[in-house]
Amino acid sequence: MGAPTRHRIVSCVTAAIAAFCQPARCDSITVTQSVSAELAPAAKLSVPASVPLTASGAAFQPFSGTLTLSFRVRSSSAGGGAITLQTTSDFSPSGGPSAAGGALTYLCSNGTLGTPCTGRQTAGTGAQSSVLTIPPAACTGGGGACSASNPNSIQVYFSLENDSGTATGNYAAQITFVISAI
Amino acid sequence: MFIWLAGAVGALLQLPARAQSFGPSGTTTLSVTVGPEASISIATATSALATTGTGFNNAFTGGTTFTYKIRSTKTGGTGSIGVEVTSDFSPGSGPSVASPPTAGDALSYTCTVATPATACTGSQTASTTAVTPVATFGADAHSAMGGNTGSLNWALTDDPKYGTGTYTATVTFTISAA
Repeated sequence: MGAPTRHRIVSCVTAAIAAFCQPARCDSITVTQSVSAELAPAAKLSVPASVPLTASGAAFQPFSGTLTLSFRVRSSSAGGGAITLQTTSDFSPSGGPSAAGGALTYLCSNGTLGTPCTGRQTAGTGAQSSVLTIPPAACTGGGGACSASNPNSIQVYFSLENDSGTATGNYAAQITFVISAI
Repeated sequence: MFIWLAGAVGALLQLPARAQSFGPSGTTTLSVTVGPEASISIATATSALATTGTGFNNAFTGGTTFTYKIRSTKTGGTGSIGVEVTSDFSPGSGPSVASPPTAGDALSYTCTVATPATACTGSQTASTTAVTPVATFGADAHSAMGGNTGSLNWALTDDPKYGTGTYTATVTFTISAA
């Protein structure tokens, strides 16, 4: 191949490269954008699947058991929240203790965020009862304005009346906890 | 590079499972085993025995009142209340349950016990060496939550051989449920 032919090939390649490297494809552009996120109040909890109530050893003293509830929450600056419980399925089979009859009570303690319920509460079947009150602007984890611990927790101490009128046997009830935040 | 990226993604996917499950609500099951139980409380700390006569014709008598609670097993359960003289009359030279000064001298009692108990029948002789019956219970026996009452009516032979004075014995009540 002679020199003029090689020159034409180089020229064609150069032209082809120039056709692809248009000014827009080869320049760098900086774009700025504002990103914002609106965090709504949120709350979630976790409880153990089961809690045994055991006798103290002294005759006809109440049965007792302790549950540790874990939760994460974010409440608005003008809002707050709450954790409540309700006996959603009374003790069964029949012949045993009755939460509807007021035999099941509880105390709240050792909350790592918010205010635990005050005094002995009745875990009835008719309505939710208080476990914890969550203040405004509450947040779980991270320290500073938020709680140091993550998740937060609270302990619930259950006490079941040991009535001599109750027949011997094994009984179980279901307790449902609900958390809310606004 | 593709192989490295796939491995990194795979590593990210191998996160350990969380032990807790969080949600807007949670349910726990409370369980309890109710077993047989029994307890007794003696209302009369000291039962004074006194005689109504002066001619050794009447025994020294008095009563002890008690309250019991019981829950026996629903099927095949039983229960009982018994007494035993755990400390004989003292000081000496007076009445004695274990070694009466005259054969036939005795500390005896009759029982009155509210249901679900079955009270002992007739006069029973107290003993320092064995528990003697007060009441029995059958299966699925339940007292009231506040307890049910019972009483023993004591009779102690008035033997002229007793020296004058005050004599004291200790009687222990035992209740059981199975």
